[in-house]
Amino acid sequence: MAGLELLSDQGYRLDGRKATELRKLQARMGVFGQADGSAYMEQGNTKALAVVYGPHEVRGSRSKSLHDRAVINCQYSMATFSTAERKRRPHGDRKSSEMSLHLKQTFEAAVLTQLYPRSQIDIYVKILQSDGGNYSACVNAATLALVDAGIPMRDYVCACTAGFVEDTPLADLCHAEESGGGTTLSLALLPRSESIALVQMDARLHQDHLPALMEAATVACKGLSKVLDDVVRQHLQEVSVQTRE
Amino acid sequence: MELDIGSSVLREFGSEQSLLSKPDGSATFMQGDTSVLVGVYGPAEVKVNKEIYDRATLEVLIQPKSGMPSVRERTREQCVRETCEAALLSTLHPRSSLTLVMQVVHDDGSLLACCLNAACTALMDAGLPMSRLFCGVTCAIDAESQIITDPTAQQEKESRALMTFAIDSKEHNVMMSSTKGSFSVKEMQQCIAVSQKASERIFQFYRDSVKRRYSKIL
Amino acid sequence: MRETPLSNCERDFLLKSIEAKKRLDGRQTYDYRNIKITFGTDYGCCTVCLGKTRVLAQVSCELVPPKDARPTEGLMFFNLELSPMASPGFQSNRQSELLVTLNRQLERCLRNSRCIDTESLCVISGEKVWQIRVDVHVLNHDGNLMDAASVAAISALSHFKRPEVAIQGRDVTVFSPEERDPVPLSVYHMPICVSFAFFQQGTYLLVDPCEKEEQVMDGLLVIAMNKHREICFIQSSGGIMLLKDQVLRCSKIASVKVSEITELISKALENDKRVRKEGGKFGFAESVAKERITVLTREEAPLEMTDVQATADEIISKADAPPEVVPSPVIVATGTGQVGEGLQSTWGLEDDDDEEEEMSDLTEREKKKDEVMVISDSEEEEVVILNQAGQSKCS
Repeated sequence: MAGLELLSDQGYRLDGRKATELRKLQARMGVFGQADGSAYMEQGNTKALAVVYGPHEVRGSRSKSLHDRAVINCQYSMATFSTAERKRRPHGDRKSSEMSLHLKQTFEAAVLTQLYPRSQIDIYVKILQSDGGNYSACVNAATLALVDAGIPMRDYVCACTAGFVEDTPLADLCHAEESGGGTTLSLALLPRSESIALVQMDARLHQDHLPALMEAATVACKGLSKVLDDVVRQHLQEVSVQTRE
Repeated sequence: MELDIGSSVLREFGSEQSLLSKPDGSATFMQGDTSVLVGVYGPAEVKVNKEIYDRATLEVLIQPKSGMPSVRERTREQCVRETCEAALLSTLHPRSSLTLVMQVVHDDGSLLACCLNAACTALMDAGLPMSRLFCGVTCAIDAESQIITDPTAQQEKESRALMTFAIDSKEHNVMMSSTKGSFSVKEMQQCIAVSQKASERIFQFYRDSVKRRYSKIL
Repeated sequence: MRETPLSNCERDFLLKSIEAKKRLDGRQTYDYRNIKITFGTDYGCCTVCLGKTRVLAQVSCELVPPKDARPTEGLMFFNLELSPMASPGFQSNRQSELLVTLNRQLERCLRNSRCIDTESLCVISGEKVWQIRVDVHVLNHDGNLMDAASVAAISALSHFKRPEVAIQGRDVTVFSPEERDPVPLSVYHMPICVSFAFFQQGTYLLVDPCEKEEQVMDGLLVIAMNKHREICFIQSSGGIMLLKDQVLRCSKIASVKVSEITELISKALENDKRVRKEGGKFGFAESVAKERITVLTREEAPLEMTDVQATADEIISKADAPPEVVPSPVIVATGTGQVGEGLQSTWGLEDDDDEEEEMSDLTEREKKKDEVMVISDSEEEEVVILNQAGQSKCS
């Protein structure tokens, strides 16, 4: 609204990117020794850590186990130091529960759960620094962690946010752009089949702009998938070199 | 301390039965502007820690329209539960649960009486066996020592004493009484007598509404 | 209590009939059930019946200090409750997934889309603002709770009127509805949610699923729009894979449905306003359909009180005489009190001499019932007890 200009006349955003440019992406897999799979991901200033345990026997109540598939249990939490103001309640409040549910449904669509009946896969994600695109960073980090754990999936799950300012779609929003009052679309995509695992949008947007916005988000996710693919291949190379020695 | 009974009126009242599809029995009772909606589930499975070996476990829940339920709702639940337990033949359904859920739709005075009437109508609609029917009547004694039956919220606020009685249908005895304010024993006896008179009207209404309800097979 | 599970043959039947483009209640794929909106007696109370799904919404307001980050904006608080009467599977005080999802969706739909002008809710910047609280109670669950809840919430908000305030310096006076007419909230637009249920991995699509259809669906897509064709909120849930053109197609269907529903809401609001202005009766009691056999009403009528007085007197005379008026408290020593007579001491102490003396004192004084008797063990002469009618001096 007032104050910050999200897109300047020359087409540059607040942090100097162009409209469709993504933030710098860095990721590492296998950061934790004791977990079955883990990954650390930095998307611009947003830092997320994902840890995967499983597949293992259903812990807790036996009634939760499904006879033909695995149960995916997700937990999302933010570190108290992740936001500008100290977060009072890192988990258990409504927003975190909602985010955990969204993550769960995203991965239920992507993971081949039919291969592990009556078992459970735990995915724990923690945001260490929040600068917009929390959900996307979590999804990307969790994808890498699942690949690190060796759990079979249909495809990479890539997620990205997109916004709309002055008839131009912006890809990969940072916190200032998200809270500026404009539209925010979060999309989780399986890039090869272009099928959407989760779509979520807040704030008002005219119906006619929706196709353009979704197209921008899809393109951004496809770009992300290439980066994730490179990270996985590089990690495998490193690991195979180590094991050979 | 003679009370002027004068001309007491019952506000226009109405009820609708079987309006919700999910509960086993449901009813709404309206007294003037006060309106309560009740849903009954039962007899159904009961949690092991709540089961009673020889009778059904009755649970009553009252939900206010805005805000979280507080102690006020708990006391009302207690009053309604004790009345229902006295009326229901709970020994016919041992180790089962009966749940009564009430939603306050609008409160314009005599809320507890309206809850009791709605509860009885819902229990009838659910077909639960009862040894007697019951109804609730509220009497208020205002500053001029006049008895007002079925008071509105404004009249309740200005009254010196407020009494709610649950009257049973067989012998017109008092099953439950909940009072607020100060009054003498004589005043209370007069209010009880007035309530018993008013209850006759309400019981006739129950009979009429059930007759009307089953006049056609739905 | 638990929800009755769906049997396999019911599930197969439902899926096969959806493949044959037939629905259980005979609707078409894109048809909504009958929506009925009624308003209550006080402002801000609304019941919505979407087929058999029934939802009650109530709006209330209070003055609170604002958030530090936004001192000039009012607050909105949404609370959706799944009443245990709506379904045997709902239990109070249980945070289920459905409850969290519905609450968050309602919050995002109404708060983030800025449908209410929060700046107008400010009374004194930085100190007092209005907090609008919307309570939504789900009374009967027959599918599609989200749509019914959003319609109820936005209708209740459009119907609500807050009390008028007058500010003089730092003093705020809130006028009651009798003193000054209450002020309606300024609603910019009405976001309405439309739910789409997907079956067989996204091949089939249904609008406004009923409860049985919800139990067999693969996933749900909720789109909230207003009548100006602005999308306020999109959320997909359930583990389904969607395609981009499916989402776009749904948004087109949603725009049609939303304009129909907004029409309905405006008509209901108009009706209610007209009835109130004409002085007719309004409220839930009036909206009940009297011709149905499940409904019965009685007019206001006086009670016969002819023999009430006689009955009451009879009861009183027959009853035992009430116990004697409680004797005035007997105070054993200054600073203590006693109501009624205490029990005789059974400790067998040898205080008989003292007791006898005191007994004689007592019998004299019993005649003066209105006085408070003080039996003081004080050995001081001329003990005077102040502030008592009919003072008694002990020696």
